[in-house]
Amino acid sequence: MHNFSANKKRLLLFILFGWLLLLVGDRVGELRQYQGSFVATYTLAIASIILLTGYSGQLSLGHSALMAVGAYAGALSINNAHLHPVIALIIATLVAGLFGLILGFGVARLSGPYLAGTTLALAVSLPSLANQFPILGGEQGVAFDVGAPPARFGEAFSQYKWFFWISSLAALIMIWLISNLLSSKYGRSFRAMRDNQVAAQLTGINTGRLKVTAFTISAGVAGLAGGLLVMLISGVSPSAFPLSLSFSLLTGAVVTGVYSLKGVMLGGLVLVAIPEIADSVVNRIGGSEGFTATLPGFLVSALLIAAVLFAPNGPGQLLKKKH
Amino acid sequence: MLKFITAVLTSLTTGSIYALMSTALVLVWRSTRVINFAQAGQAVLTTYIGYEVIVRSGSYWVGLIVAIVAGAVIGAAIDRFFMRPIFKRVTTGPIVMIAPVVATLGLLGIVQALIGFKWGLSYQTIAAPVSTDGYRIFGSVIAFSPFNLMVLVCVTITMLLLTLLFQKTNLGLALRASAYSPEIAKLSGIKVNGIRTLGWALAGAAGGLAGMLFVPSTYLYPNAMDVLKVDGIRTLGWALAGAAGGLAGMLFVPSTYLYPNAMDVLLVFGFIAAVIGGLDSLFGAVAGAMVLGFAINFTTSYISSRLVFPTAFIILILVLLIKPAGIFSNKKGRRD
Repeated sequence: MHNFSANKKRLLLFILFGWLLLLVGDRVGELRQYQGSFVATYTLAIASIILLTGYSGQLSLGHSALMAVGAYAGALSINNAHLHPVIALIIATLVAGLFGLILGFGVARLSGPYLAGTTLALAVSLPSLANQFPILGGEQGVAFDVGAPPARFGEAFSQYKWFFWISSLAALIMIWLISNLLSSKYGRSFRAMRDNQVAAQLTGINTGRLKVTAFTISAGVAGLAGGLLVMLISGVSPSAFPLSLSFSLLTGAVVTGVYSLKGVMLGGLVLVAIPEIADSVVNRIGGSEGFTATLPGFLVSALLIAAVLFAPNGPGQLLKKKH
Repeated sequence: MLKFITAVLTSLTTGSIYALMSTALVLVWRSTRVINFAQAGQAVLTTYIGYEVIVRSGSYWVGLIVAIVAGAVIGAAIDRFFMRPIFKRVTTGPIVMIAPVVATLGLLGIVQALIGFKWGLSYQTIAAPVSTDGYRIFGSVIAFSPFNLMVLVCVTITMLLLTLLFQKTNLGLALRASAYSPEIAKLSGIKVNGIRTLGWALAGAAGGLAGMLFVPSTYLYPNAMDVLKVDGIRTLGWALAGAAGGLAGMLFVPSTYLYPNAMDVLLVFGFIAAVIGGLDSLFGAVAGAMVLGFAINFTTSYISSRLVFPTAFIILILVLLIKPAGIFSNKKGRRD
């Protein structure tokens, strides 16, 4: 019974937060709505990393590739099969999850450095495949157009607000599902496996299968995030999913505190804020082309190292120490 | 037949450059149990240092030596001032398992960004010290040049020196002992920490050499195979577009570019080669690199240069599925 009320409380919390986002979305300009959509998308992608790394102890550098899988699947269902955008996003999730399942059989049970290196190789090799199949559109890629907002929302309802609604709603629903999963039997098994694999096996947990499960779910979530990302940039191409995206997501996850889903939005905010900060620094002090182009990457990496050094278990750890 | 000979020779050359990178990864793995993703950054940094020296002194050879020494110094410094504090500070929580790897990723980003600050993002070239025109056999030009020969010779000498060091000297014994069992090595009076730093330094030097040999590698194809060349240039355009951080098939681009992400591709191939070889053995690293070099070059010659990354990835997956401990290793599996 206790668990049931906890779940109800969480649902209420998510609805409340969604309502808050709705109010905020009405009161800010188009630029902020657009940025807010990116925050929601990155937050969701970071949640997929936390689910995998924080709860099941696997380190993936290939999430940019998994996002690309979802993005292409979504784009093709809109463009070639003319499906409704919502169905396209669901397909993005399912196809990426299926891809994760197949891949997971091969790699999910690998230990730390092997999985990291293999997923790195995936992130590098997968985008180059897009050029192999004409249906994927080569370097130009495929358009991803969710269409104008429905007429019943009125004239004043802008495209950016529509983006904001879709991405926030998708992120909220998905993260709600993930946090439910993590407070269930599965979540406890994940944590047990992460903290002590042998002990987990002794209690009858099939850790091999569990790792594949975690990888599959994480891939599905990443696929949805990929679909949302290309919705925001209105098309999917190999260059939309560079390796640096994987690194950024990892940074977001470590900054948030890789083994807690609480505060995952912080990571999304940080990832959207960094290019802005870099821009304002460049505006103030100027600098060469090389400086301008590499500053965001520098900030992301510096933040990653600082987080590992000073708050390896998340910002919550710092707060706890003070008390 | 000519195509076959060409493919074999280019396989040997590219394989030997991968071998340097996989050796660098294996050296660090043996001493610290970390896959050093920053190796790509270190290699590109030392190559830029070599480039700077070449521009000022006009001599490739001075640049090569400076790059190797710089690689060793940077490797040692990274272990001493970066990795050790990480290991010391991060001791609690589940993060312990991934913190060192994550830290090397952060370092990779930092190094690449700093290079962008200092040298900009434009593509630099390093002129090869010896001719890069292919040898002529039976009146037709093949894709194997004096420079390719130089690469092969350099790598062979390096591997011989490393083997001598590891098998015939006391220092090598200490290196092997520290890798095999740090505690027992410590009890026998070996300064394990210092030895570990030495491992990083050697790895850095090997990575530096890889960079210097990699960048001036000119065309991998004879002029006659213009179709492939066009493919390569198209691949370059794609790389410029930023896909995968410039990780496109740089190896197949018939030219000599140096830019901050230039070594990422070497890192990936080096890692795959190291896994094929079993991560723990230097011989395995070289053998794995040769396997990969042949697979990649034959794919390029006979199928398409666009299948290079997928081929490498499929080989990696197959090795991990069938013999996760590596083809050239008889240790137990890597799986949990």
